[in-house]
Amino acid sequence: MPSATVNKHRPSELLSRLASADPEVKVRALRELKNQIIGNRTKKLSFLKLGAVPSVACILADSIDEVTENNNCDNSNTNNILVQSAAALGSFACGFDAGVQAVLDAGAFPSLLRLLANPNEKVVDAGARALRMIYQSKLAPKYDFLQQKNMEFLISLLSCEKENVSGLGASIITHSCATNLEQKALFDAGILRKLDSLLEGGSLSQRDASLESLATIFRNNPEVISKFAGPEIGRPFSSIIDLAKDRHPRTRLLACMCLIVIRNASPHFLQDIGIKTKIIHILLELLDDPGQVGDEAPFAFSILIAQKEDIQKLALEANAIDKLHHHLQKGSLHPRRFEGILLALADMCSKLESCRSRFLSLQVLNLVADALTDYNSGVRTAACVCLKSVTRSIKNLSAGYFMNEIIVIPLVQLFLDPSSSVQVAALGAVSNIVVDFTTRKSVFVQCGGMNQLVQLAKSMESSVRSNALWALKNFVFQADNRLKEGVFSELTASLLSNLICDPEPSVQEQALALVRNLVDGCINLIEFVFAEGGLILEAIGRQLQCSSKAEIGIQGMYALCNVASGNEFHKEAVIQQLFTQMDDKNQSFVIKFLQSNDSQLRIATVWTIVNLTCPSSHGAPGRLEKLHNAGITSQLKNMVNDPCVDVKLRVRTVLGQSMAFGDN
Amino acid sequence: MGTSKKVITREEWEKRLSDVKIRKEDMNKLVMNFLVTEGYVEAAEKFRMESGTEPDIDLATITDRMAVKKAVQCGNVEDAIEKVNDLNPEILDTNPQLFFHLQQQRLIELIRNGKIEEALEFAQEELAPRGEENQSFLEELERTVSLLAFEDVSNCPVGELLDISQRLKTASEVNAAILTSQSHEKDPKLPSLLKMLVWAQNQLDEKVTYPRINDLSNATLEDPVHLQSHQQNSIQKERQWAVRLCYGPHQTNLLQPLAHLSLLSNFTQM
Repeated sequence: MPSATVNKHRPSELLSRLASADPEVKVRALRELKNQIIGNRTKKLSFLKLGAVPSVACILADSIDEVTENNNCDNSNTNNILVQSAAALGSFACGFDAGVQAVLDAGAFPSLLRLLANPNEKVVDAGARALRMIYQSKLAPKYDFLQQKNMEFLISLLSCEKENVSGLGASIITHSCATNLEQKALFDAGILRKLDSLLEGGSLSQRDASLESLATIFRNNPEVISKFAGPEIGRPFSSIIDLAKDRHPRTRLLACMCLIVIRNASPHFLQDIGIKTKIIHILLELLDDPGQVGDEAPFAFSILIAQKEDIQKLALEANAIDKLHHHLQKGSLHPRRFEGILLALADMCSKLESCRSRFLSLQVLNLVADALTDYNSGVRTAACVCLKSVTRSIKNLSAGYFMNEIIVIPLVQLFLDPSSSVQVAALGAVSNIVVDFTTRKSVFVQCGGMNQLVQLAKSMESSVRSNALWALKNFVFQADNRLKEGVFSELTASLLSNLICDPEPSVQEQALALVRNLVDGCINLIEFVFAEGGLILEAIGRQLQCSSKAEIGIQGMYALCNVASGNEFHKEAVIQQLFTQMDDKNQSFVIKFLQSNDSQLRIATVWTIVNLTCPSSHGAPGRLEKLHNAGITSQLKNMVNDPCVDVKLRVRTVLGQSMAFGDN
Repeated sequence: MGTSKKVITREEWEKRLSDVKIRKEDMNKLVMNFLVTEGYVEAAEKFRMESGTEPDIDLATITDRMAVKKAVQCGNVEDAIEKVNDLNPEILDTNPQLFFHLQQQRLIELIRNGKIEEALEFAQEELAPRGEENQSFLEELERTVSLLAFEDVSNCPVGELLDISQRLKTASEVNAAILTSQSHEKDPKLPSLLKMLVWAQNQLDEKVTYPRINDLSNATLEDPVHLQSHQQNSIQKERQWAVRLCYGPHQTNLLQPLAHLSLLSNFTQM
């Protein structure tokens, strides 16, 4: 039986008191509402559904009008209403996107802005705080920095001593500044100097907010960075570098992130080994922080090292892999932290074999394999990405190190994951693992991996299709005939030809590459392209004619090249494809490819012609004549001094072969 | 015998000490920082008046903070929550662990006052959702709710939750959160300095024997020679006898300890 005290707090009853005409009742009701929702996501949601936000927004707007009508009076009841309603709206918006949306939809945003001009300090504070909560969300309205009025308003916010107000200014920048143009406008208006002064003289939260804003303004903008550094003698960015050693972990993290942004954007600054090593050490040490700072540190570390071998080397020397491993071993990690550490390991092992060796020697692989079955999809994806990096180790791949149940079976299970990004990541890892030089892919085949890949090649998502084909391509690379036949019969000619003509270029490319690998090696395999009335061969010809992307041309030509390495029948079929698909200028795509800027494409085409005209085949003269009539021989003659050595040599081979048949 | 360490006497030490300059303003700041962080408002006011030292935060906010702390210590958690939200609504909105602990304390107080039905309803309506929102709270929640299962709460396994120390723990947590939100250090500086002193002494002990401070509360220098006499036994007695022989009991100038030292080192080579 509910007791009397609980009845008093029933939501609907509370909301009806909000509508009271008596200001004291209203204030009490607002305060109660605020106290019920703060910290309590469940209550926020239930009050949201009851329409509390529009009611509060209305009260706020009415009270502001009252203040304006009475010439900015400082009535304590009115002020209380303003403070409590702003606080309630701020709480609805705090870390709760549905709340932010409701506040914006209720039209409360302009009202909150007007609070900033109120004479009462507490009112200004409450308004600034509520606005700051809104600006922490992606849903906040975009701020137009390019308008003079808006820039002046922003400057006034940043110049205010009150933490919440200057913090609001910084939040607006961090949230809304996106383009180089806006970054420059902020620089020109002197905003960076203001932020810099907050770095030196501001409070802790002001320093942190400034660091975030500075990073936003510097991001991908070397011009602004060098202008800010200026021609001053001494260390530019010295204030930021000093903050990287601050006593507060969050400040250290934000300072490092700012330095990383500067370093990544600009080729001139922060390039010496000393500063790089320092940042590495600070980030690795921040992993020890038990809170949000420690969760975010590995992500910053990833941004620092991604794609950069020199920094990865430095990090390896700083025992990064050992330290990341140490944190993984702790167990029951927050999902965000778990994901971050896995991605950091992935970046560390992405290019350097030395890193992968260290990783494997520490037995980190088992922990990563466990993460494949984590309940959090971000963690599962990160584990796959990590495996993709590690399985680039050719030494271990060829030793069959990864083709075992612990890794392969959970990976194949992820092919059925509800999240497509997990599927794509799993496919990436599998693509590497199936390049098993021992051709002993039994574990993968036994757990139905190959069938699953074919199923995924039919997915609705194009990225899943293309990655599945990529994995199949690697799977059949130099595999034995039986395996290839198995793949082909599962795929079928009609599916493969459809995929060659897929709307997505990336899918087309992988499909063509798959055909290339399928028919490579044994003459019997060439029959694949003739199955079901030559569907695949037709599709290749069609695609080569209409495609403008070099990558597609390359794979398609190599596929044709492999077919042309077969018998007479095969060669005739290929040459037919080259000439039946003509464009309106009556030009074969062969000429187009030979004239391409891409040397890979030129060489693939020349190789095909080499195969078509090799002297040992009795149909060669006939084919040579066709090529000559299409102007291809003269095109080739223009290429005897091609800048690419491979092209040059093969062109001379063809011309040599053609001379063997006389001057036809 | 271990390696012979350098010895510094009390006089030497005190001589060197007198050369070190410590500013009065710095000491005043330390004291003020301690009073402010611990929340001694009246003492801080008086100290400010008498020493002219400005506190680094507004003393009015200390009053607010102390009111919150006191409310929790008295078991008026709902009142404390309202006060924190008036002070800064962001604190509980961004601190799920603190908010959970305050709600937990509310439940404990309801159980303590025998309001079992209300406690059950509160646990269901307020605490269960916290557990759903954040799995790490579930264990704590279960422990607290299990209080309801026992007839004699003061003797059950989770009885410590009813202890006054639990209130103090929660009060301390709130205090720290408020200080952090005001960009103030949650710990006073004085204990850190004292810890550093103890650490530095331990480091120096390996290299030098010198007058130590062993009692932090009165900070008197202990004679290094006396310390040595504690550590070594019969060998020491012999030395003392040797010293008395050479120099007699009336030597008081600096020569004595130096000679003493050289004598000591002669003996250690035997």
